[in-house]
Amino acid sequence: MSEPAKESAKPYAKHRRPATFRLDGPGVVVVDTEEAGRPARGTIQITPQAEPAQLPAVVETILPARRGFRWGALLWTSVAGLVLLGLGLSVTHLIEDLFARSEGLGFLGAGFAAAAALALIAIIAREAYGLVRLATIEKLHRRAAEVLLSDDRKESRAVVADLLKIAHQNPRLARARVSLSSHTDEIIDGADMIKLAERELMSPLDIEARRLVSVAAQRVSVVTAVSPRAAIDVLFVLAAALRLIRQLARLYGGRPGALGMISLARQVVAHLAITGGMAASDSLVQQVLGHGIAAKLSQRLGEGVLNGLLTARLGLAAIDVTRPLPFTALPRPVLADLAKDLLRKREDEE
Amino acid sequence: MTPSLSKIVEEARLSARALIDYGESLFNPTIRLGVTGLSRAGKTVFITALVHGLIRGGRFPVFEAFDSGRIARAHLSPQPDDGVPRFAYERHLRALVEERRWPNSTVDISELRLVIGYQRPNGADRTLTLDIVDYPGEWLLDLPLLGKSYEQWARESLSLSREGPRADLASAWHAQLATLSAEGPADEQATLEAARLFTDYLRACRDERFAMSLLPPGRFLMPGSLAGSPALTFAPLDVPTERTAPDGSLWAMMVRRYEAYKDIVVWPFFRDHFARLDRQIVLVDALAAFNAGPAALHDLEAALSGILDCFRVGRSTILSTLFRPRIDRILFAATKADHLHHTSHDRLEAVLRRAVNQAATRAESTGAAIDVVALAAVRATREALVARGRDKLPSLLGTPAAGESAGGEIFDGNTEVATFPGDLPLDAEALFNGVDAFHGLSSKSAEQTDFRFLRFRPPLLEAAADGAPSLPHIRLDRALQFLIGDRLQ
Repeated sequence: MSEPAKESAKPYAKHRRPATFRLDGPGVVVVDTEEAGRPARGTIQITPQAEPAQLPAVVETILPARRGFRWGALLWTSVAGLVLLGLGLSVTHLIEDLFARSEGLGFLGAGFAAAAALALIAIIAREAYGLVRLATIEKLHRRAAEVLLSDDRKESRAVVADLLKIAHQNPRLARARVSLSSHTDEIIDGADMIKLAERELMSPLDIEARRLVSVAAQRVSVVTAVSPRAAIDVLFVLAAALRLIRQLARLYGGRPGALGMISLARQVVAHLAITGGMAASDSLVQQVLGHGIAAKLSQRLGEGVLNGLLTARLGLAAIDVTRPLPFTALPRPVLADLAKDLLRKREDEE
Repeated sequence: MTPSLSKIVEEARLSARALIDYGESLFNPTIRLGVTGLSRAGKTVFITALVHGLIRGGRFPVFEAFDSGRIARAHLSPQPDDGVPRFAYERHLRALVEERRWPNSTVDISELRLVIGYQRPNGADRTLTLDIVDYPGEWLLDLPLLGKSYEQWARESLSLSREGPRADLASAWHAQLATLSAEGPADEQATLEAARLFTDYLRACRDERFAMSLLPPGRFLMPGSLAGSPALTFAPLDVPTERTAPDGSLWAMMVRRYEAYKDIVVWPFFRDHFARLDRQIVLVDALAAFNAGPAALHDLEAALSGILDCFRVGRSTILSTLFRPRIDRILFAATKADHLHHTSHDRLEAVLRRAVNQAATRAESTGAAIDVVALAAVRATREALVARGRDKLPSLLGTPAAGESAGGEIFDGNTEVATFPGDLPLDAEALFNGVDAFHGLSSKSAEQTDFRFLRFRPPLLEAAADGAPSLPHIRLDRALQFLIGDRLQ
C-alpha cells in the first residue's frame, strides 16, 4: 500500500469496465519500468510492477573499498616524517645547547624529551590500535553481510568468535556472550548464526545507541532554538556530531583516537551521502513539512527541529558505520522513531 | 431448542472432552485451528501454503515469531484423531508446484498436525502443536439448523427460494412442490423426487454465474457415504402455521428425516470437531460474488452472519476452557487477493468488513478478537500498469486457467494476459446498495459486467536450491500472526 494509485481513487461514478489483454495480442507492448512513457496511439502499453515484498532481499550497501595506490597517504606520511625529523633535530640542538650552558639543565631537557617521546609513542600506539580496531569492525561488518548471503556455516562461527572478542570488553554483554557461545556448537546455519548473534549481542546496544542519538538530537535542537548567533549553532552542531560519533563507536566496541575519528567521520559522511539522498526524499521532507507548524510559530523553533533531525540522521548513519553487524534480525532504527522522541521532548518543554 | 435429556448428556460429554484436552495442553500446548470457507474459497491452498511456509521457510516478515527466528523448526506429526482423514499435504503441494493446477476441493473434513518448536522471547524452548482442521464451510451453515425446527427451516428455505435470481432456478422444484400436500399420506417416491429437485436447485445456485452461498443443508451437495440415505432425502414443504404434523403424513416423515439429519450429520460434526476448535479462519471468496452480482453478495453476507452466529466465541478463560471450549480468535480472510491490484486490497477488506460487521460487533462484545484480512495464500499473479490511451489501469499479469474466458476469448491455460478486473468502490456501502448496485454475470452478459475476476493458474516457480520452492503469498504472514502469533510468545 505504498502509493495509492491516483486513477483508482476516482469516484465510483467513473467506474471503469474490466478489460483483459493478451500479452502477445496485437497492439500490446510490454515495457520495463524505466522506459514507461506515453503509449503510441492505438497501442496498449503494459508495465510490470515490482512490489517491494517480492524484490530480492536488500543487500547492505557495503562501503566501497579504496583501490589503487594512496598518494595522499604517502604525502601525509612523508610530511609527518619530515616534521618529526625536524622536531627531533631542533630538540637535539636544544638539548646540546642546554648541556653547553649547564649540565643540570641539559639532563632536565633530555628528561623532558624522553618523556615526550614516550608519550608520542604511546599515543601513536593507541591511535594505531584504534584504527586497527575500527578496521576489524568494518571488516567484521562486511564478513557478516557476506555470510548472510552465502550462509557459510564455518565462516559464521569465525565471525561470531571475533565478535565475542570485541564484545569481551563490554560488561553489559556478559550474559549475552555466554548464551551466544553456548549456541556456537549447535547446528545452526550461517546466516541464522549471524542473526542470532545480532539479536543476542546487539539488541541492548541498539537501545542505548538510539538513546544516545536522540539525546544528542534533542540537545542540538534546543541549543539551536535558543542560541543568539548562527556561528555558535554551527560550532555546537559540529561538536555534538563528533561527540555522538565517538560515543557510538565506543558503544559498539571501537576505540577511536583522533585519526580514527577523522576516518570514522569521513565514513559517516560518505554513508550519509549514499543513504541520505533516498531517505531525505521521503521521511525527512515529510517530517520537516509535517511539522512546519512549528516553523510557523517560530522560525528558530523550526530551525531547531530541523537541526535536531539532521543530527539524528547523522547519528543513524554513524550507527550503520560503527555497528559490527548489519541490521537483519533487528529493526534498523528509523528517523521517524527519533523524530517522535524529539518532538515529544519539545512539547514537554513548552 | 428445548434442552432435552440427551442434549444435556451430550453437553456433559463435551465438557469432559474439553477437560481432557485441557489437561493435555498443560504439558503440550495445542491449538486447534479450524480452516473453513464455502466451497472454492481456497481452503486447501491456504493450508498447503501455511504448512509449506512453516516447514520449508518462507517470507513472513509480519509473522513475528518466524521472522525474528524464534521458530526453530516445524514438522508434521501423526494426528490425534484416528477417525478423520489426513490432509493430503504432499499431494496438494505436488499439484500446486509441479502440475501448476489448484488442488481438488475439500469434500470432507480432514486434519493435519504440525509441531512447531520455538523459543519464547525470554529464551525458553517450547513446542506448540498446531492441529489444523479443514472442513467445508457448508457444514458450518448447517449448525444453525440445530436450533431450528423443521417448520421453521422449511418456511425460511421457501421464502429464500422465492427471491431474486433464486426463483428462476427453483422453478422446477416449486412446480413439483405445488403438487404435494403436507398433510397427505407419506409417499416415498414423491419425497425422493422432491429431494432430488431441491438438491438440483441448491447446486444450480452454486454455479459461477450466481455464486450463492447460503445453501443449507450443506450435506445435500456433498453427500459422501450418506448419499441416498433417508437422512438426506427430505425437502422443505409448504407447511401450514399453527398446526402440527398429523401421524403418517408426508409432513411427519419430513420432520423425522430432518431430525435424523441433525442427529446423524450436524450434531456429530459439532461435537467431535467444531466445539473443540480454539482458533478459526473463515476464507471467503468475495471475488466470485463480485463476478456474479449484488444478489450473490447479499447472500454471502447472510451466509457469513449465519457462520458467525454459530461460533462459540468468547475469551478463553481457565473456567471456560475447562467446561466449554470457545473460539477466541476468528479471522475472516478474503482470499484470492492476488486477483486484485494491491491498491484495491484495502477496499476488498472494507467490503468483507462490511459483510461481517454486524455479526462481528456481537462477537467482539463477548471478548473474541475478530479481524479481517485480504490475502492470497499462493500468489498467482504479478502486478502491472496498463496504459491504454490516457487511462492507466492497475492490472495483473498471470496465466488464466484453461477454459476461462474474457472479452469473448477463451484461454487455453498457457497464454499470459494482463487483466484489469474493474474498480472496487471506495465506499464498500455502495456495493450493498440494492440489487442494481453493480452488474454481474447473473444479470448481464459477460461483456457488460462491472467486474471480471479471471481464475489464474498457480505461478511458475523456480525450485530453490534444496528442492521445493517457497510459495509467494500476500499477507499469509499477517493471518498467521493473528491466528497463532500470541501463542508463540
